[in-house]
Amino acid sequence: MLRMPEPDQHTLARRKDIIAAMRDIIPSPGGVIVDDDQLRPYECDGLMAYRQLPMIVVLPENTAQVAAILKYCHTNKIRVVPRGAGTGLSGGALPMADAITISMMKFNRVLDIDWDNRAAVVQPGVTNLGITRAVEHKGFYYAPDPSSQIACSIGGNIAENSGGVHCLKYGLTTNNVLGVEMVTIEGDILRIGGKGLDQAGYDLLGIITGSEGLLGIVTEVTVRILRKPETARALLLGFNSSEEGGNCVAAIIAAGIIPGGLEMMDAPAIKATEEFVQAGYPLDVEALLLVELDGPQVEVDYLIDRVGKIAKDCGAVYSRISENEEERLLFWSGRKNAFPAIGRISPDYMCMDGTIPRGRLSEVLTGMQDLSKKHGLGVANVFHAGDGNLHPLIMFDANKAGDLEKAEAFGADILRLCVAVGGVLSGEHGIGVEKRDLMGEMFSIDDMKHQERIKMAFDEDQLLNPGKVFPTLHGCGELKTLHAKAVADKFPDIPRF
Amino acid sequence: MVDVLSPTTPDQLRDAVGWALGSETPLEIIGSGSKRAFGHSVRTNAVLDCSKLSGILFYQPEELVISARAGTPLADIKAALAEKNQQFHFEPGNFPALLDGSSGPDAGTIGGLVACNLAGPRRIKVGAARDHLLGFEAVSGRAEDFKSGGRVMKNVTGFDLSKLMAGSFGTLGVMHTVTLKVMPNDETSATVIVACSDPRAAGKAMTIAMGSENEVSAAAWIAPEDAPHLDVPLAGEYGSGLVALRIEGPKPSVAWRADALCRALAGFGECHEVPESHSRSIWKVVANVAPFVASENTGSILWRVSVPPASGGDICARLIEKTGGRAMMDWAGGLIWVQIAASDAANVPDAPDAMAGTIRDIVANVGGQANLVRASDEIRQATRVFHPEDPALARINARIKENLDPMGILNPGRIAPLSLNGEGA
Repeated sequence: MLRMPEPDQHTLARRKDIIAAMRDIIPSPGGVIVDDDQLRPYECDGLMAYRQLPMIVVLPENTAQVAAILKYCHTNKIRVVPRGAGTGLSGGALPMADAITISMMKFNRVLDIDWDNRAAVVQPGVTNLGITRAVEHKGFYYAPDPSSQIACSIGGNIAENSGGVHCLKYGLTTNNVLGVEMVTIEGDILRIGGKGLDQAGYDLLGIITGSEGLLGIVTEVTVRILRKPETARALLLGFNSSEEGGNCVAAIIAAGIIPGGLEMMDAPAIKATEEFVQAGYPLDVEALLLVELDGPQVEVDYLIDRVGKIAKDCGAVYSRISENEEERLLFWSGRKNAFPAIGRISPDYMCMDGTIPRGRLSEVLTGMQDLSKKHGLGVANVFHAGDGNLHPLIMFDANKAGDLEKAEAFGADILRLCVAVGGVLSGEHGIGVEKRDLMGEMFSIDDMKHQERIKMAFDEDQLLNPGKVFPTLHGCGELKTLHAKAVADKFPDIPRF
Repeated sequence: MVDVLSPTTPDQLRDAVGWALGSETPLEIIGSGSKRAFGHSVRTNAVLDCSKLSGILFYQPEELVISARAGTPLADIKAALAEKNQQFHFEPGNFPALLDGSSGPDAGTIGGLVACNLAGPRRIKVGAARDHLLGFEAVSGRAEDFKSGGRVMKNVTGFDLSKLMAGSFGTLGVMHTVTLKVMPNDETSATVIVACSDPRAAGKAMTIAMGSENEVSAAAWIAPEDAPHLDVPLAGEYGSGLVALRIEGPKPSVAWRADALCRALAGFGECHEVPESHSRSIWKVVANVAPFVASENTGSILWRVSVPPASGGDICARLIEKTGGRAMMDWAGGLIWVQIAASDAANVPDAPDAMAGTIRDIVANVGGQANLVRASDEIRQATRVFHPEDPALARINARIKENLDPMGILNPGRIAPLSLNGEGA
């Protein structure tokens, strides 16, 4: 059972004063939400198994308001939960009973497009796809494309270091963000990074990206935009086993080809999606690869041909090449609808997000079948095969007593398996509350304490998004204490000169 | 006498840092020592030499990943990658040769490369060492083991401390293991050369090239006097500066894009396509900043200036004009190397700070950064070598340093000399 920090009674007792202070800072109507029925939409994010009504929701409109809110919270020791579009899948925006949820969705403007430096400056509430929409008329786009891109905000993408299907070739959010303006819990407005590539001091931009709202609130974002490739074509490749499919992925990469997209689905996922969207997927294969090549027409045609030959050598029993844009999108429609397709055949599903070294795929899939039997729940797999990011979809029925707990235990076992083969707990969804208590599978106490010490540098009172990412919050005093025993002056093992 | 500790295992490394912590002995941390002259000199009575923490732990070409002890010579790693037709995509050059005339090719260790966050011409497209570091294991200034990241490229498990360690110059922890992403070599490459002596025009040409559909993977400008370094057959006859633009990928694609690029840039000057064999040597020259290596430029001062790429041409022209130095641009104008003769630097009013004031004033308008790469120890002690941080950021940085190295035993003064500004050490 998930445990969150106990609500602070002193804060709850001051709720009226806090509301008044927030209304002073944000005078516009609707900027401070206090009624239960209006707070309800904020009670959870994309991880809907956990819900909690926030104490208050505020919707600031500019950086000065964010700074004033945070400064007030810092002075009065009030907890804060930052929130973007609320599409996160790990519960990073799960409210707390004694915390102010700060929604950034009024920060929705594209501020500047710098074509010469290939950079877009936007507010954090702009959607991921909104950036591409703002630059596509001149043939540009923003590369990271999480599947929620139509709704998720760029601020949330920074919090989670979001990925998508094009990471292998184009990188994650962290590789595509050039700079941010961020407000600290003390109310300081920091400008970090920018359009130049070198920055003085430590790489704060790198540490903020993926920090899940624990270090500050981002109020402006500068991202790199890229020229849209001239064309893209996709291949569908079917195999008799996931092992053969995995070998084909390795062979493509060994040939020096880095496809724009490289996705894999297992038989249950193929069946569910084909029934749902009729993308024309073969139903008699155990593994289906979707390979997309992008670039100039001449390059794409050349590489399609090479990948087709590699697939044949790897034992592909099915092969189809998209002949036009409509067909390419049809190929993708199956993969992109995999989650709702599973939602159609199962009352509920839980989407996991481990990453594994690709070479261990068939071993992990076999292990997952054993776990499926052990827990008595079905599982379908979609897999960003190029970068090793696995999305097992565990099927369960929340209305059946004990099913949710079974699904959670199954999911935890899958993630343990991922870590055991050299992988990680989360490839792109973040830790949030969902995987918080599994952090110890991957990190030692000292590893986590060093991460928490970075948190201390930004937020010593632990007011920003408490209860997320770290299973145990060590007190600042404990984190600052020096534990290491001084080693005796003479230690003969170490060579000296 | 300077005490040199050379641990051979991660446990010994932790003991060594533990000893330093217990005895309050600050450590200078080195790998092979090839970049010791980068940043401020660290003056300690003890040196922690990590060169014996050496060896490739695993290299899996099909997984695009290599893991090695931090003290592994870069040359060994590059050789292993070359054998499998792979590379570090961020294309580090031979940075030590800019510092020290005696550095051989590929000097330095993989840990040093990461700690300095180096990168070559392809940075404009794929980022620096920080973008390719998948994970690390280290000992912090608290003499505790800690790690972050892993061996997979898509990973958001916990804070991304790898980014923090890359470019921290050994001031937060001593890495003993690093794991990096590698990429296949491209099937072929070609370079388009445009004759162009004016840095402002060169900046415009590079901006147009980078904004085109031709996926330019590197863009550099070399001044007329340094153009012979590129050894382009016609270069001598041009007698002009050169813009070099690199295209990489499958053969038919490279040919097609190189043609398209030549057409797009026809207005800037004579355009010329250089085939693969020669293209590779051109980018080695750029990656190594060959015109400005220490061995051929004794006594000169070298600055590394980073600005938004599209402003590079203008800033470069102004830097040449105001310093009287020589310059070269990489990263499509985002990186400007400026070399000043020591005598010129001594004759300006703001000496002996190597014209830091002049240079930093010029880049301030565009939010640029200027780092002093090569200068005498005396000048480096009197000048902020690394671009001064914004005070609000400096406060956060100082707290990070204090939390990971509370006694200030790791490379004290390396980023900012203690005499000029306490860098939390």
